[in-house]
Amino acid sequence: MGDEVFKLKGNQTGLQLVFAPGIAFETLRNEIQKRLESGSQFFKRGTVIQLVPDQLSKENEESLRKLFHQYGVLFRVEPIEDVSKARRPIPKQKAPETNIPAAQAAAKESPAEPKPAEEHRMMVINRTVRSGQEIQTQGSVLICGNVNPGAEIIAGGSIDIRGTCRGIVHAGAYGDRNSFIIADCLMPVQIRIADLIAQAPDSIEKPAYAEKASVKNNQIIIEPIER
Amino acid sequence: MGEVIVITSGKGGVGKSTTTASLGVGLAMRGKKVALIDTDTGLRNLDILLGLERRIVYTLVDVAQKRVNYGQALVRHKKYSNLFLLPTSQVADKTAIEPEQMKQLVDTMRNEFDFILIDCPAGIEQGFQTAVIGADWAVVVTIPEVSAVRDADKIIGRLQAVNKDIKLIVNRIDPQMVKAGTMLDMTSIDDILSLPCIGQIPDDREVINASNQGIPIIEWSNTAAGRAYNDVVGRICGEDIPFKPFETEGFFARLKHVFGH
Repeated sequence: MGDEVFKLKGNQTGLQLVFAPGIAFETLRNEIQKRLESGSQFFKRGTVIQLVPDQLSKENEESLRKLFHQYGVLFRVEPIEDVSKARRPIPKQKAPETNIPAAQAAAKESPAEPKPAEEHRMMVINRTVRSGQEIQTQGSVLICGNVNPGAEIIAGGSIDIRGTCRGIVHAGAYGDRNSFIIADCLMPVQIRIADLIAQAPDSIEKPAYAEKASVKNNQIIIEPIER
Repeated sequence: MGEVIVITSGKGGVGKSTTTASLGVGLAMRGKKVALIDTDTGLRNLDILLGLERRIVYTLVDVAQKRVNYGQALVRHKKYSNLFLLPTSQVADKTAIEPEQMKQLVDTMRNEFDFILIDCPAGIEQGFQTAVIGADWAVVVTIPEVSAVRDADKIIGRLQAVNKDIKLIVNRIDPQMVKAGTMLDMTSIDDILSLPCIGQIPDDREVINASNQGIPIIEWSNTAAGRAYNDVVGRICGEDIPFKPFETEGFFARLKHVFGH
């Protein structure tokens, strides 16, 4: 690896952080900080840097994530997927994984597999979705407006809300656990992704960052993101 | 051509009829020719708030079903001769009037009046459809309570679906509770409803006192709620009136209220 302590390897989804095994974490962190301060072109705001899991301890991963975050760079610890493989249409109808939630059963008029065209279409809602209103789509949905309390968004794919989300959001309603939910201000009463349901705490502070809800280890997790 | 405004809220008991009565009187005090239409068939009470209950002969149901023309059903206000009430029936129910009949009636009446205010029933059923169909724009009344704001939001969605312009009145604001953080403030309400606001009415016990006497609160110009309603009327007439910060009432101000009337 020459005189460099670490390298950033480009791949289809972003940059991958690579370093020699056994290197002192302090050295690695300092070098990364130096590079960040130098204003390298690699570190434009919103750049995604990936790290293959199990190379660092959880605290060290978190420490790097915070460091990158200061410079607006997103740091993710996740297995690097072969994108060429991932892009291939995944058969939607997996073996019935777990119990189907009631909402999903209701949302799904025809249990048949959604047609690929429908599935990949992005629905754009250019207004605030108010109490009692419901948006349903087989594909993903982009909402330029708020999702108010009492409103429901049900999408076969992911949900992106450019506004405040206070209603009920259900992504991956046909079982796709890779779906996610993003909102400028994510404070819904319930988040549903595929067959999982997460309930909001009794009192919820207005988050200052945009956040993303996704499924990790059979749980819905929420993390701040840069937009 | 007159302007037709529907006053609605979704939730009951937030002050639709009180607001309709006060705005009607306020517009009449400014010399406008005003008709108030009560569409809360079966649960009418706009007549009581205006002190006109005993003068009712024909009702909106008679007019809609073409038994009489609207002129015969109109009740003139005792004090303001350019203010009229078109009361509804206490015995019929909301299915007695079809939305289309209401639209025709309003379109005829707007040739005669400067303003027609329609008092909408609570709920989202046929009564709501009937009240809303003929209106040019809507006033949504709400109170700083989570449930009322939720219902208002739903009503706003319905109104926007039929392309009505909407303005907001927030009723029964308790400045002390807002200050203590125990009541929704204007920012949180605006956060959800995001509508232009034309009225912030403080919670005022004099409103009940006045209503029981058949006097809309706007006639009592020395009350906090009366003054706030007067500002709303000004804004409807196109005046640019800034919102005044509420004075959290001290002991002496309250004493003044007790001895005010």
